[in-house]
Amino acid sequence: MHSEAANELYDVLSPELRAELARFEQVRIVPAGTHLIACGVPPEHLVIVNAGKVEITLNCNSRHAASLGYSGAGKVFGMRALVSGELPEIDVTCMESCSITTVPRDVFLALLKNNPQVYFAVAKVLSSDLQIVDRILRGNTRRCISGPRPRPAKTV
Amino acid sequence: MAMAYNFHIIEDCLKCAVREQRLFCNLSREALIRLQNIKATSVYPKGAMLCLEGQPPRGVFILCTGRAKLLTTSSEGKSMILRIAEPGEVLGLTAAVSGTPYEATVETLEPSQANFIAQTDFVHFLQDHPDVGLRVAKQLTHNCKCAYEEVRSLGLSSSVPEKLAKLILRWAEDPLDLPVKKQNETPLRVTLTQEEIAQFIGTSRETVSRVLAGFRKKGWVRVKGATWTILNRRALENLVTT
Repeated sequence: MHSEAANELYDVLSPELRAELARFEQVRIVPAGTHLIACGVPPEHLVIVNAGKVEITLNCNSRHAASLGYSGAGKVFGMRALVSGELPEIDVTCMESCSITTVPRDVFLALLKNNPQVYFAVAKVLSSDLQIVDRILRGNTRRCISGPRPRPAKTV
Repeated sequence: MAMAYNFHIIEDCLKCAVREQRLFCNLSREALIRLQNIKATSVYPKGAMLCLEGQPPRGVFILCTGRAKLLTTSSEGKSMILRIAEPGEVLGLTAAVSGTPYEATVETLEPSQANFIAQTDFVHFLQDHPDVGLRVAKQLTHNCKCAYEEVRSLGLSSSVPEKLAKLILRWAEDPLDLPVKKQNETPLRVTLTQEEIAQFIGTSRETVSRVLAGFRKKGWVRVKGATWTILNRRALENLVTT
């Protein structure tokens, strides 16, 4: 059983590679509050959200976390940590019951090793992650540099 | 013949002496030969714009020498520096890979060499060479890390002195290597103008000038032209953590 839903990884892979991954993937329904990715914990799987809403948060320090926004169907999580070997810096938490597809880490890394063209898909997923953070940054930046709004003109 | 600005142009990637130190360029021989065929080398003066925020992607720029600032501009026309790109970085990567407009304006901070690769050539280059894919993934990971750091910084820094202290401490991670240096002093080479520092931390040049004068008066930093010296690191760190 595998997910037919469009997602940012599978959209770029050839049908043959999709079929290869499909042999190892697992589709599950997880309840609200489930951490799909936890900050500082190496992910065992690549996680693809098929349906449902998730929140992405960035831990700033032990007391503060910044919300990077919400995401849902089609988004892939865990790619950066899997490819770089670094620990995740974000938490991804289900806001409602979600349908997810998981691909085991070793299966994905083997696919990557044997099929270098998969790197383009990896780059697409990482670029999309970067765009999420950039949007936040841009929003904050705009607030920083826009200054106070002009006072409305008095009406008689 | 000596070149203008003492500038040494690296025409041949295969003969580049510094490629092993660079984030992107340490590629296999096959990939370097291909890179040599698809790239166009150009030298830009200080203040040249390589690409504009919102412009449809044409390709990527590999920054060989020099540094460049990545800027975003508000609807009122005010600019803010998102980060400074160092030699070896690939600029315009997200846009070229995802086919979306450039996310930032890239402007050189000093005379720079950049190798341009057209978008289609770059995508094929990435798909054909696993080491290029790996380098691209590393570059994107690095960019993401920088962006997370920036979000943290913006989210937690409340005052201009705190933001300026944080910026100075970040520069201190790569101090100036002087033959003679006093203990407990950290010299830095700061090539940004006060206007650019203001753009970096989202304030005005006048405020940067005032806050920096405060730091100098308290004996926390010494400024002599482009050489700044941190005299009291603890004080700057306290400003950041409080």
